[in-house]
Amino acid sequence: MSRQPIRFRDIARLTDEPLNPLSADELMPLPALSDVPELTPPRPRWLENYDLSLDGFSDFDIPMPKTPEERERLVRGFLTGLEKLLDPETNWTFAKLFRLSLDYCMRCQTCSEACHVYLGSGRQEIYRPTYRSEILRRIYQRYFTPAGKLIGPLIGADVEVNFKTVWRLLELSYRCNICRRCAQVCPAGIDNALIAREIRKLFSQELGIAPTELLRKGTRQHLQAGSSTGMNPAAFRNSVEFLEEIIEEKTGRKITIPVDKKGADILLIHNAGEFISWPENPAAFAILFDAAGINWTLSSDLLGYDVVNYAVWFDDVELARIALQHVEVARRLGVKKIVVGECGHAHKALCVIADRVLPGDHSVSERPRESCLPLLWDIVRSGAIRFDPSRNDFPVTLHDSCNVVRLMGIVQPQREIVRAVCSQPLREMAPHGVHNYCCGGGSGFAIMDTLNFSQWRNAVSARMKVKQILDAFGDVLDPGIRKYVIAACSNCKGTLREAINYYDLWEQHGIWYGGLVELMVNAMADLPGPYITWNEEM
Amino acid sequence: MALHWFAIIFAWASVVIFFAVAVYRVVKISSMPLGLRWEVYPIPHEARDRREYGGSYMEDVDWPKKHERRSFWAEVVEFLAPEAIEIGTEIVTMKKVRGHNRYGIWAFSTLLHWGIYLFVLWALLLIVQSLTRSALLAAVAGPLLVVACAVGLVGAAGLIVRRATTPDLARYTAPIDYFNLAFLAAIFVSGLISWAGDPALAGHRAYMSAALTFQPTAVSGAVLATFLLFWAFVVYMPFSKLLHYVIKYFLYHQGLWDDAFKTKGSAADRQVIRQLGYRVKWQAPHIAAGKTWLEEAQMISPEGEKK
Ligand code: SF4
Ligand code: SF4
Repeated sequence: MSRQPIRFRDIARLTDEPLNPLSADELMPLPALSDVPELTPPRPRWLENYDLSLDGFSDFDIPMPKTPEERERLVRGFLTGLEKLLDPETNWTFAKLFRLSLDYCMRCQTCSEACHVYLGSGRQEIYRPTYRSEILRRIYQRYFTPAGKLIGPLIGADVEVNFKTVWRLLELSYRCNICRRCAQVCPAGIDNALIAREIRKLFSQELGIAPTELLRKGTRQHLQAGSSTGMNPAAFRNSVEFLEEIIEEKTGRKITIPVDKKGADILLIHNAGEFISWPENPAAFAILFDAAGINWTLSSDLLGYDVVNYAVWFDDVELARIALQHVEVARRLGVKKIVVGECGHAHKALCVIADRVLPGDHSVSERPRESCLPLLWDIVRSGAIRFDPSRNDFPVTLHDSCNVVRLMGIVQPQREIVRAVCSQPLREMAPHGVHNYCCGGGSGFAIMDTLNFSQWRNAVSARMKVKQILDAFGDVLDPGIRKYVIAACSNCKGTLREAINYYDLWEQHGIWYGGLVELMVNAMADLPGPYITWNEEM
Repeated sequence: MALHWFAIIFAWASVVIFFAVAVYRVVKISSMPLGLRWEVYPIPHEARDRREYGGSYMEDVDWPKKHERRSFWAEVVEFLAPEAIEIGTEIVTMKKVRGHNRYGIWAFSTLLHWGIYLFVLWALLLIVQSLTRSALLAAVAGPLLVVACAVGLVGAAGLIVRRATTPDLARYTAPIDYFNLAFLAAIFVSGLISWAGDPALAGHRAYMSAALTFQPTAVSGAVLATFLLFWAFVVYMPFSKLLHYVIKYFLYHQGLWDDAFKTKGSAADRQVIRQLGYRVKWQAPHIAAGKTWLEEAQMISPEGEKK
């Protein structure tokens, strides 16, 4: 089906019809699957109440502004926010890279082919990395630069800001995983992912608009209740008891998991979602640390048991607040360092990005914050635990979390571990390592499931990862052969769980997923039986 | 004669304007606050064994304790040199465009860039020749001009055609982008015409000597046009996004490749402390008005504060 090409100024179209409706037959083909789900249309009730006028999908169950005054307020708030984004002091955290990225793009489109969302969608224009950047650039030029005001059309400053533009731009900022693969290939060093993030930030910090899962039930709940899951310290303590039961049940070992142990060498903080969705993951950490004789602890302090920092995707103020609480927990316990469990964005937020909002004694040099992966590799290397790779005698592939790998350069430790604890050679995805594709759940998508957003994630942003997984297991697709996708990141696991379900990968091809530590414990020679739970056994 | 005086003054003025504006821009960018870390791997200044696969120092346990203060020499050799090599390789080969661009612009883009490099080299060579009167340089200058202009013209024209005829590129190409390419093409066409009328470049050399000695001399219209267009381009460049080759340094060195972690009491730490003293001017309900970043970061429930 050929359709009219979308022009930039169409973003301001005053209709409720989607600018770029999606249909399943336009998406990137997945030849290895015999049964690819159709896209279901949005419910009529949603169309009456909400704005799905970008592509027919949305995570925002926020009623659209109805009166001219409300619309005007939205537009004014957006333009004021944009002005603040451009101001070096107001937006000190990112203004430099943001402005340079707006000013110096050569419009060569080299970045497009790097984007799994664009490719997965079958190259739909609105998902091109430069599309949303170009819209914002044209608005910025038209409203904020002398050249744009004087000779706007000649420099392409032709996008009008009305309430539809504002809303579609909000939606567009949530069609990018902020995986930054596009930035990696740009010859000029432009970062379209940062532009997407800054648009999100404008909405959050100026207008208080962000997906419910990220702001109200995310960072707000995290700061106020102690965890974005809503788990309070008492519930956390119950979870720890539950972990101890799992450990005893699965391994026969009685382990007392240390909680709030003052002066421990390591404060391990997990994504609290693990306690609820994948308790065998924190339990595996406990088994490994116990067996390796590590002096470690968990914390039951507010935020001390939930390392997520969703704000890294959309809000610098909340980012600083959460990071500060994390290091404060470590200070109060007097631990030597924080180790981040298998949670990719938390790695990047706490170890890297927040470094420059935490001054003095909270600097990373004084209060170290590290990834769990090098430590786990050290445990393997040390010989403290005996591993029997034949216990992991099934095909495995490794999904690289963008945050840990492309954005932190932690590439080899996890590969060394897999080589040490699995008997079959690691099936690398193509591409992999720092050039990997995002799972499709990055930047919050993994947990966003209001309205029909999760369908978009499964169908579009996770599509490339599904293809990579199918390709990696191309010669063993028989569903009788169990296959394991390693994802050492909670949000990647959440996305894979949903994608496996959506594409029926377990039934059709015997493909399952899990963390890295589960695989390690599964290979521990001194334990009685298998630790990994495959789908059919759950 | 007035025109010939103008051609001399314009030459000097254009160089002065170029450097003044470029330096102003660079200073302005450099004086912006220290942003948060936002690197992306691979990073060329990582240890040699890790560079290849994009690894970092964070692959080690206890990396925050392994910080070493580097000497100036180590900074140059281990940091700046690998970065310069990486940026230089991109400038010369445009390998990222070759590897990832599907619109067939790599060859034209590379030719255009080489045309510009060779043209600038030619202009520099002409200056040296005027000062030294070297016969060898005089002999080389003609062929160099032809190659620069031919290569650059093919590149510029090819890019104009590619951009205009490839819908995915055309949508993103504003009139200003065509103007930039046409401007460059005009310099190259003019250069070729001036050479055709004067293959020994006697007029070009005479103009360059005149400009260097402030002694106006009459040269042909084609020679004059070539130089005037070129100087106009030199003036225009720092005002446009064509300065991207300078800006690249900031985007890479202070952005995509800035992996420096902060140590207590360091210059970066002091700067962060200063910046945390800025007032937060954002207005969403979860942000309290009038607080500094440091105060704001210590708040859990600013909604309560607002009442
Ligand atoms: S972001 Fe970079 S790669 Fe993409 S169009 Fe702009 S300059 Fe080209
Ligand atoms: S950051 Fe990732 S998802 Fe976003 S535009 Fe770039 S490549 Fe696409």
